[in-house]
Amino acid sequence: MMDGMEDVLPSETNGTKSGRSDTVDLNDSTLQVDISDALSEREKVKFTVHTKTTLPDYAKPEFSVVRQHEEFIWLHDRFDENEDYAGYIIPPPPPRPDFDASREKLQKLGEGEGSMTKEEFSKMKQELEAEYLATFKKTVAMHEVFLTRLAQHTVFRNDHNFKVFLEYEQDLSVRTKNKKEKVEGLFKSFNKSTDEILLAATQKDVDDYFEREKTFLLEYHMAIKDATTKADKMTQAHKSVADSYIQLSSGLSQLGTIEGPRLEKFINKVADTFEKARKVEGRVSSDEDLKLSDTLRYYVRDGSAAKDLLYRRLRCLANYEQANKNLDRARAKNKDVHAPVDVADAELAQQNACEKFEHISNKAKEELNDLKARRVTAFKKNLIELAELELKHAKAQAQLLKSCLQSLPEE
Amino acid sequence: MRLYLIVSASPSLCPGDNPQATHLPRAWAPLARPPPHGSRLTADLFSTNPGALKSPVSEQTTTPEDQRSPEDPLTPPPPAASLTPEPHNPGTPPDLFESVAEGPVVVQGGSPKLSSVPLDLPAGGNGGEGKQQDTSEPPVPPSSILPPMGAPLTPPVVPITPTATPSLTPNITPAAPTPVTPVAVARSSPEQAEGDGGDEFIQITVSDPQKIGDGMSSYMAYKVTTKTNVSYFRKKHWSVMRRFSDFLGLHRKLVEKHLHSGRVIPPAPEKSAIGTTKIKLGSDKNADSGSLDFIERRRAALERYMNRTSTHPTLRADPDFREFVELDAELPRATQTSALSSAGVLRLLNRVGETVNKMTFKMDESDQWFEERTQQIESLDAQLRKLHASMERLVNYRRELALSTAAFAKATAVLSSVEEHSSLSRALHQLSESTERTQTIHHAQADADFYVLSENTKDYIQLISAVKDVFHERVKTFQTWQHAQITLAKKREAKAKAELAGRMDKVQQAQEEVTEWEGKVERSQEEFERISRAIKKEMEQFDVMRVKDFRDMVIKYLEDLMTSQQQIIKVWETFIPEAKAIS
Repeated sequence: MMDGMEDVLPSETNGTKSGRSDTVDLNDSTLQVDISDALSEREKVKFTVHTKTTLPDYAKPEFSVVRQHEEFIWLHDRFDENEDYAGYIIPPPPPRPDFDASREKLQKLGEGEGSMTKEEFSKMKQELEAEYLATFKKTVAMHEVFLTRLAQHTVFRNDHNFKVFLEYEQDLSVRTKNKKEKVEGLFKSFNKSTDEILLAATQKDVDDYFEREKTFLLEYHMAIKDATTKADKMTQAHKSVADSYIQLSSGLSQLGTIEGPRLEKFINKVADTFEKARKVEGRVSSDEDLKLSDTLRYYVRDGSAAKDLLYRRLRCLANYEQANKNLDRARAKNKDVHAPVDVADAELAQQNACEKFEHISNKAKEELNDLKARRVTAFKKNLIELAELELKHAKAQAQLLKSCLQSLPEE
Repeated sequence: MRLYLIVSASPSLCPGDNPQATHLPRAWAPLARPPPHGSRLTADLFSTNPGALKSPVSEQTTTPEDQRSPEDPLTPPPPAASLTPEPHNPGTPPDLFESVAEGPVVVQGGSPKLSSVPLDLPAGGNGGEGKQQDTSEPPVPPSSILPPMGAPLTPPVVPITPTATPSLTPNITPAAPTPVTPVAVARSSPEQAEGDGGDEFIQITVSDPQKIGDGMSSYMAYKVTTKTNVSYFRKKHWSVMRRFSDFLGLHRKLVEKHLHSGRVIPPAPEKSAIGTTKIKLGSDKNADSGSLDFIERRRAALERYMNRTSTHPTLRADPDFREFVELDAELPRATQTSALSSAGVLRLLNRVGETVNKMTFKMDESDQWFEERTQQIESLDAQLRKLHASMERLVNYRRELALSTAAFAKATAVLSSVEEHSSLSRALHQLSESTERTQTIHHAQADADFYVLSENTKDYIQLISAVKDVFHERVKTFQTWQHAQITLAKKREAKAKAELAGRMDKVQQAQEEVTEWEGKVERSQEEFERISRAIKKEMEQFDVMRVKDFRDMVIKYLEDLMTSQQQIIKVWETFIPEAKAIS
């Protein structure tokens, strides 16, 4: 697994690492986290999280624990709920490992086994297995990216929960939300989104910068989400084209045996070419997926997290303004009576709110800028890699076809 | 007698339907069209022996009545001849080619009589086979052959009649209605038809589909342009307008004339009720991509059909074919091609009968070659169908790829406009354009997938069916022969019985019958052997053509694929610097 993973590690990890090290002035080696191994067992995937650190808080300089997906989500939720981190963009949680699609395809293939030849069947099976492996590698990568971002964030890395996550050798006993909690969660998010909309409509932001950012993020989020879906469809279609070459190739070879000596060699060469072309096309599709779709997808999620940040800030602003109003009211009420308690309370509340708000605003500004820079770098890197890979594959295919064409007329 | 013999020997003359009939069934020859002709003779007849043919009897197909009465082959077919179209005089063989008379004129009732007779069939052969007449002696023109042709003989040509001994039946007179403008096509002598000139070149393109008329009575017309250096065509390069039913009509005629000689007739594109109705009812403005697609498919299919037919030397020389490509006016409506006409219904019934026949009759195959070939054809058929299915899948997926790439391009454009960072925005915009270009490439490739690969394979599947039909013709001939043998045995028995019983009068009759059937047996055996030989030769040619076509198709496809990839290379090459330019 380890070796396999190295190749597949999405550039995001590297990109993020290097991006982060550009913008965050930290020595990477103080806390290094990676996923050294992963095991897929029926429904679950078990990740081996390996940490290397020079920080004094940790008991050992190097250690590993086994974690499951739910525990990653638990960690993310802890960060999300923590008010101290309200001003930061919380790294988006990794998506659940989803092998359903592959499993379905494998099943369909099994059912259709009778209708195709042995070789066709084994080829398709190989393809599916490769697909399964690719999905697996991707999910490992996503989990790793999540952890790495946390590890490199100046504030997050020191979080207690994070430490527990990395160190605690026993199972964290994080049970998945039971029904009630799920429903609660659903309500919460529903409330949050209505609140968001309400706020967006009513709350005027004092700071133009944030106002602009908000509009931008909203638009951008929609656009990038759309682009991601379309990119996914495109890579899927590409994969289907590549797969259909398999049938073409085997159909041709069978034709060759029937046709007899005259056409047989010719046909076999062509069938062979199609087989090779298919591999190239398949790679085009998976590269597109990796470089393009995944980048877009990641930034959809990151953008979502940024939106959350803005929302929190706005809420904070609303609270702040509310506190102001309360203070004014308290003062007004107690003008004569001089009941400093109420006023004091209100003053205190207002002060807290004010501080919080300022704190969030500053942090948020930083985070948003950071996000922008990260995004630009990641896109640049991935787009370049995408283009180069596409070019490489197209050249390979053109070459393949050319050599085939050259060898054909010889007969 | 001779004449008679010949005539009856080829039951197949009839347009198909009666495989076994010993007499010509001209009967149902579709009325409208000129009698289905004895195709075989077409070219042969005329070639070479113009002289021999003097007989006035033009080749009209003998009416069934004629056939029955061997005695007078020469009698010009009963005036029923109204047919007129026949008029051509046999005398002028060359002219005959022309015309395939417009159907309607001819035949009405029946038998286009051809007085064939005198035509001497030069065994010339078109198609090289000349097998048709194995038995015929020169003097006796395979008139039999003629009959079938009858109609085709250009009615218009009528004027030519002069050569022929006019004494012949009036039918010859062109009087016939021939709607066809007396195209004076200068028919070059038929001889040329025979030559499978190695240097002959003929290329046909079908273009400019136009909708003529409006509503349900409208139809699509296509321009058929021919370029050739073959001598028996009038010009080197010309065009005519034809409608779709004309193509089908041509195919029908060719099948009727040539199938029983063992030739493989390239199949014509199918009728499609839905597509056609959509076009008929739609106005020009609303031509949506679906119907444009349909029209384009049809046009391409018609072009392939015409070219395949024209590469076959026999079919190329066929008068019907020649008239089709050359006649500068509208061809008579091929009403038989309409599914609902009486001829259509008859055809359907016959087809059903044949299918039953195919399934029930198991031929005793003595010829190893045929047995192997039949098997090979069957497995080829199955395999091609499978291949075709996977090709269609490829086409669909690629079309989907083109569509989804287009959608992605648009989404990226939107993203690029929203993006604040200017150089990233530029890069995204560039990505959008590159993707747009790749989409076009994919789309074009999908079209190539379709037209080059998938449609050609489909054509091959149909050609294989045509081959199977030819093989089946042979089986039918075999059946005829068997049947004749059985009947002969019975007649012999009857004769023996009569002799035993001492009934001299009956004996006489029985004797006649025995002789008659002996003759039939002989003829049908010859026929069987002839068709077997013809098929073998035809298959050789077919194989060569098929192999070549297949190779050409694959090579072209691979070239297209390679070009697409090279275009993709260019697209990405222009994109890379843009991506690198992101600051």
